[in-house]
Amino acid sequence: MRSFYLTVNVYFAFVTKSFQKRMQYRVANLAGLTTNFFFLLVHIFVYTAFYAASTEPQPLSLNEIITYFVLCQVSFMLMPFFGARSEMTQAIKDGSVALQLTKPVDFHAYWFADECGRACYFLLMRGLPTFLISILFFQVTFPQHLTVLMAFVLSMTLAIFMSTAITITIFSSAFWTLDTSGVSGMSGSVIMLFSGMLVPIALWPEGLAQIAEWLPFAGLIDIPFSIYLSKITGVAIWTAVGKQMMWCLIFIGLGRLFLRRGFSRLVIQGG
Amino acid sequence: MYHLSLYLHFVKLRIRSQMEYRFSFVFDLFSQASIAVIDFFMIALLFNRFKELAGWSLWEVGFLYGMIGVCFAVAEMVGRGFDVFQNSVVRGDFDTILIRPVGTFFQVFSHDFLLRRVGRFSQAFVILLIANSQLTISWSFVKVGYLLVSLVSGTCFFIGLFVIGATSCFWTIQSIEIINIFTNGGVFMGSYPFSIYRHWFRHFFTFIVPLACVNYFPALFLMEKVTSSGVSSFGVHLAPIAGFLFLGITMLFWRWGVLHYQSTGH
Repeated sequence: MRSFYLTVNVYFAFVTKSFQKRMQYRVANLAGLTTNFFFLLVHIFVYTAFYAASTEPQPLSLNEIITYFVLCQVSFMLMPFFGARSEMTQAIKDGSVALQLTKPVDFHAYWFADECGRACYFLLMRGLPTFLISILFFQVTFPQHLTVLMAFVLSMTLAIFMSTAITITIFSSAFWTLDTSGVSGMSGSVIMLFSGMLVPIALWPEGLAQIAEWLPFAGLIDIPFSIYLSKITGVAIWTAVGKQMMWCLIFIGLGRLFLRRGFSRLVIQGG
Repeated sequence: MYHLSLYLHFVKLRIRSQMEYRFSFVFDLFSQASIAVIDFFMIALLFNRFKELAGWSLWEVGFLYGMIGVCFAVAEMVGRGFDVFQNSVVRGDFDTILIRPVGTFFQVFSHDFLLRRVGRFSQAFVILLIANSQLTISWSFVKVGYLLVSLVSGTCFFIGLFVIGATSCFWTIQSIEIINIFTNGGVFMGSYPFSIYRHWFRHFFTFIVPLACVNYFPALFLMEKVTSSGVSSFGVHLAPIAGFLFLGITMLFWRWGVLHYQSTGH
């Protein structure tokens, strides 16, 4: 029991350290906030114009679309899209990963904790302000029931875990390529599309939406936000959350496998 | 002439060094293209559902998209030196640049050449070609010339943005991320007709950051939409000059910025 407590304590310390590390970049955060807001604004302009010209009823109302994109920008930095997470690649490239290997901690768990700290930071310092400002300027809808809110929180937490697991899986490719900008760029764009970040999956044509259904990435954006907007209700919530959980475990397993393989062929450059 | 041969020599070196990570290079080339394909795919998805956007069809928007994409890809390819300039300031490398017998602007400009942007360039160019084949634009000598000038002007516009970002490093050391709003954000918003944006937004991106002048107005002229859009045709003819002017002003800003450089030391 004591050793379990110690283990939790160690990884929790990694989470807080990672959070504190990011707290130093306040100006950069302000710039990022502006960027988030700009993209949100353009998205809203575009959809407002599309909706204005459309006479047919749509599966999501304009207000719901706006809420959806507000949530997208709130969680944008938590998602496994591109860039930002170059520390891992850098560590593999310049060999400082060797230092981390000497520590008596599980490497995957360490990175996972680090990423979670990062997620907490961006949720609090980037997501929350984005949401609060958006409420002032746009018509954001809120969940009508407490249960919906709770289901959303659960689903969003799983989405963040899944994102973390995917990130580690992608970046472990650095063991083979040393420069991950290609791999992360390509996977990032596919993930972005099939998560529903660019266009909500409810607006997709039938066949394509079917494909998105079978891929894991809807669990990052579309599932949690659909729960928020009460587009997924009742028993369907449990299936959706179960799907997120399953993919979460699969990606954690995959990441661990890649890391083990990677370390077995690792050559430290320099010294 | 001396500068040109020097520049070409640098480019050759950069390309050779980028080829060292060959797998990553090829992968990046495809990823660049695939990101862009998905980008346009998203627009197509929306048109599949909504049919039209403020009176613009999918391929009319595709034309806008292709134009801005080509400009940005070329700007990123050649203007990369300014994009990564903050490293030189952080490390104090700019000191070395100052003591060399060539202008600072030229040195930073020729510092890097990002060959892998060819991927993104080809994608945007293909979209532009497809859009052109889907639309019935009556091409003439004037129009082809106007298009070429607009594309060069658009490229200058984006390079100008990189220069602003780089120059700000003289004061802030780290580059100001805000410039991303205008570069990546510019590509994003430039892919849609400007008529969908609010007044203040439109004016800002016409008169202060002249994005509309290098993309939307030229597209209006080429597609003969000027009269229906209610924009003055005189302004549309002159619009592409804005990109060159913008780069010129940012070059002056650069010269002024260099005077304020304080070495971070070695």
